Amino acid sequence: MRWLRLGALLLVVGFLLGTAVWLRPFGSPTAFEMDDYFLKNAQVEAGANNVVTSVVFDYRGFDTLGEATVLLCAVVGVAFILRRVKP
Amino acid sequence: MSVVVRTIARLLLPWVLAFGGYVIMHGHLTPGGGFQGGAVVASAVALVVIAFGAEGLKGQKNLFSFLEDLGAIAFVALAFLGIGSTFFRNVLAGGGGLFGTPVPFGPNPGWLNTGGTLPLMNWAVGLKVLAGLGSVVLLLALFGGKEDG
Amino acid sequence: MTLWTVLHILTLLGVLAGAAVAVWLKDLLAAVIALAASSLLLSLAFYLLQAPDVAIAEAGIGAALTTAIYVLAIRKTRRREEG
Repeated sequence: MRWLRLGALLLVVGFLLGTAVWLRPFGSPTAFEMDDYFLKNAQVEAGANNVVTSVVFDYRGFDTLGEATVLLCAVVGVAFILRRVKP
Repeated sequence: MSVVVRTIARLLLPWVLAFGGYVIMHGHLTPGGGFQGGAVVASAVALVVIAFGAEGLKGQKNLFSFLEDLGAIAFVALAFLGIGSTFFRNVLAGGGGLFGTPVPFGPNPGWLNTGGTLPLMNWAVGLKVLAGLGSVVLLLALFGGKEDG
Repeated sequence: MTLWTVLHILTLLGVLAGAAVAVWLKDLLAAVIALAASSLLLSLAFYLLQAPDVAIAEAGIGAALTTAIYVLAIRKTRRREEG
């Protein structure tokens, strides 16, 4: 059992190290049409210098809406669990 | 907590709050945005709760709830502004009015009066995140477990 | 090997060391501080990878708020790990 666990750990570490070695070079994605569109047009269309913010709040607004909903649900859950109960 | 922690917290608090406000306010110009700035301000709330105890902030619970709801409702309302064409359409950008200065392509010094609905959404999400995470820390300090008096 | 590569490798090794120390320590408060140091170094790694947005979010959430929540939880329960 001990050797099995050690083997599994070595397998996972080797897989991760191999992935890190065989990774694509940083900054050269395979599909770049969307990136080029955002970099070329986001500044004029959304009127903001920060392209990340214009993607987050304008082009992909639904993602941000979902994230805000997740945060709201988390806070409501915490407030519901940690409420003051009368004994 | 000890006097060292309290003194450091008292020194550090205005700078953390100012940095969080800067990150929210300049979200459409510099790296950062509503979520990041709200997290920084919420960490200031956590600093106060850790250093000075949660009893001083006990009366602000309803204020935090109100701010969170206000942020969520303002975010959805700003998204509904563009319902004429699409949900989340940036109707104010380039219009010349509020936050409507047109931005040319390429490097520029960065003007605060740009971005359309993006700065307003940054404020809404920032308010929501700071109130939400701050109230999580506050509730955990007030009502969780044995120290509950 | 440029300075950037050396700095990046040192940062990632620091993240790994912080996580290992956080697992190894029996004093939970010290383990939480080690986790916060690891998270701060991870935020530095994000900054070196030219993602300042993620770096600010990681520094705010991972290094500050998670530490605060863990410290509050440890204050309400036991400080030392058993077994």
